[in-house]
Amino acid sequence: MLAQLFLKECKQTARSLIYWLIVLVLIFDFTTQLGGMDIKKKPEAGEESYGTKQSRDPEMIMKSTLGQLVEEYWRESYTTYPIGFYKNVTLNEADDQKIGEILKETTGIADRDAAEQAVDAWYAAQEEEKGLNPSEAETVKPAEPFKAEPLEGLTYDRFEELMEEADRILGGGSNYSKEYREKNAVVPMTYEDALKEYEALIGEDGLTGGYARLFSDYMVIFLGILPVFLAVTRGLRDRRSMMQELIYTRRCPAFTIMAGRYLAMVAMLTIPVLLLSLVPFSKCMDYARTAGIAVDMLAFVKYVFGWLVPTIMAVTAVGMFFTELTDTAVAVLIQGAWWFTAVFGGIGSLHGGSYGWSLVPRHNTPMNWQGFHDGFAQLLTNRLLYAGAGLILMVLTALIYTQKRKGRLEIRGKISAYRKNKSEV
Amino acid sequence: MSTTIKIRNLNQYYGKKQALADINLTIETGMFGLLGRNGAGKTTLMKVIATLLPRSEGEVSVCGRSTQHPQEVRKIVGYLPQDFSMYPNMTVYEVMDYLGVLSGLGKSKRRQRIPMLLERVNLQDDQKKKVKALSGGMKRRLGIAQAILHNPKVLIVDEPTAGLDPEERVRFRNLLCEIAEKRIVILSTHIVGDIEATCEDIAVLDEGHMIYQGTVTELLAMTEGKVYSAQISKRELELLKKDYIVTSMLTLGNNVMARFLAEEKPFALAKPCEAGVEDAYMYLMHTERGISGC
Repeated sequence: MLAQLFLKECKQTARSLIYWLIVLVLIFDFTTQLGGMDIKKKPEAGEESYGTKQSRDPEMIMKSTLGQLVEEYWRESYTTYPIGFYKNVTLNEADDQKIGEILKETTGIADRDAAEQAVDAWYAAQEEEKGLNPSEAETVKPAEPFKAEPLEGLTYDRFEELMEEADRILGGGSNYSKEYREKNAVVPMTYEDALKEYEALIGEDGLTGGYARLFSDYMVIFLGILPVFLAVTRGLRDRRSMMQELIYTRRCPAFTIMAGRYLAMVAMLTIPVLLLSLVPFSKCMDYARTAGIAVDMLAFVKYVFGWLVPTIMAVTAVGMFFTELTDTAVAVLIQGAWWFTAVFGGIGSLHGGSYGWSLVPRHNTPMNWQGFHDGFAQLLTNRLLYAGAGLILMVLTALIYTQKRKGRLEIRGKISAYRKNKSEV
Repeated sequence: MSTTIKIRNLNQYYGKKQALADINLTIETGMFGLLGRNGAGKTTLMKVIATLLPRSEGEVSVCGRSTQHPQEVRKIVGYLPQDFSMYPNMTVYEVMDYLGVLSGLGKSKRRQRIPMLLERVNLQDDQKKKVKALSGGMKRRLGIAQAILHNPKVLIVDEPTAGLDPEERVRFRNLLCEIAEKRIVILSTHIVGDIEATCEDIAVLDEGHMIYQGTVTELLAMTEGKVYSAQISKRELELLKKDYIVTSMLTLGNNVMARFLAEEKPFALAKPCEAGVEDAYMYLMHTERGISGC
């Protein structure tokens, strides 16, 4: 019965307008983000730039972090991400003074004017350099962020202590928190670094692995929200079509009905993702053929199922659960809030390697295999958790459905009765 | 296996409001009519039998299966609700096929039964038509076909003729009678004509109470000698309405041919008439509750 129902539900999904809108959004996401994707060539000695990398050098971390603090102090405006949401913080006089004291102790910059002078001098020097080398000025090269020299004698321990204090003053999630300050130090890659990364991409990732991660990174953003629309419209369709009672009185168990719908939606959402993955896969294949590289043929399939399907499962289940529970589209709001938090919360870990418990784990580069390798256990746990949570929510949805079939748990009826009573009063 | 629906001391509540009060009913194979005005509790009773509502108090068993085990009851019950529709973008055949899967019918069984049932409800030429393109009558007939898709022992139809034109209504009633040959068909309606044309056994509900259970013949017998007609002026009609239950009127120029209920002959011009089910129903609804033909 489940297999037959699954096929029928797949057919229903394929006929739904919202499904095709979701497919269009996924195609749009793909073409805008990955449409012009180029495969990284092997780096050659003497190139102008090899990109950047994060530095773990304490001195570099101190310089970069203090540079940001000086600049934000001068602008009197601080960017933070408490619980993942973007927030612009402006301090009151007392807190502003405290930050000024921290700055004085760490950099010797005594006031806002001194901060302004230091920042201006830094960027003016870069402008001057561009003037001396007009060819560089023509290339769109972003200015190197301001870096501040720490005062002589400032230990790393004291620096960390003071940055924690600054983060506390700013309400958490600032560039001075432990999580962010270690990512502040971005330094240019050397030829050796770039070669090492490339060799990891070819050797460890079989080329396709790296691009499958990049593909997953872009697709997971939209898959963290879109499935909820499909689940909500499917859940509401029975009531809207006045078909609920015809289905309720059938012998088919609630679990089979819900599982059939759930699996069909997950499968139908996975299909376009798999099809889209053929584009970067074919680009990888073309490159591998000319470069004579052996690729991992199943990398995209593995990443789609391992990275993206758990998100689809969790989001679809959230949609089904809250729609069945309330007979409303409230799941869109709930999932929207969760998605917003997850996407903005992941801004600090775009480079990959720190996946945490995010619904939308990020890895916005085909490189950094080492980061992926180091964070793999966490990522695996994360993905298993969301796949498991999706299945558990689906079972809970089936339990709610069982009760509704028996005339219980009619929350919508209670909401309308409450509204009616209220309006009568 | 028993082929009877037994309802014992059924009480049903919506919060503090009592929707059904101490209902006792036995329904055997054939057509059974459930009559009552809107809000009398008919749909509630139907839903309890169809396992769509949990009973508050009492016992309900369908062919020996308690409604406390809905999964068992659903195997043998077909239900056509009062307000229903189907996925508008599906074709007639697809809807039947989808519901057939939910009824646990295999592919070959569905292929065999669906065309047969569509032919029975005269929709064989509309198999590929989308549900949204069906007329009200066609939708009702499709509703019946889906309800008997799994060949249930009990068919419950709630107000099935509401909104149908007279021809469709007659066709629909005949269809129900054919279906009732081998199974229990419970027909709930507030239209007396539907009951008169199809049912011998009936029950009448009023404000959650069962005020009559018996045969149509017994109900008619209760009204025997209490139905009169008279040709009177329009002014006299107003006086007649004050004292008697007028069941029908026919305007004849300045006069009116009125049909009314009276315990004994009210005036010389009044002529005794043969009672119809509508007269009997009106008599029942206006006399003290609890008069029964049982």
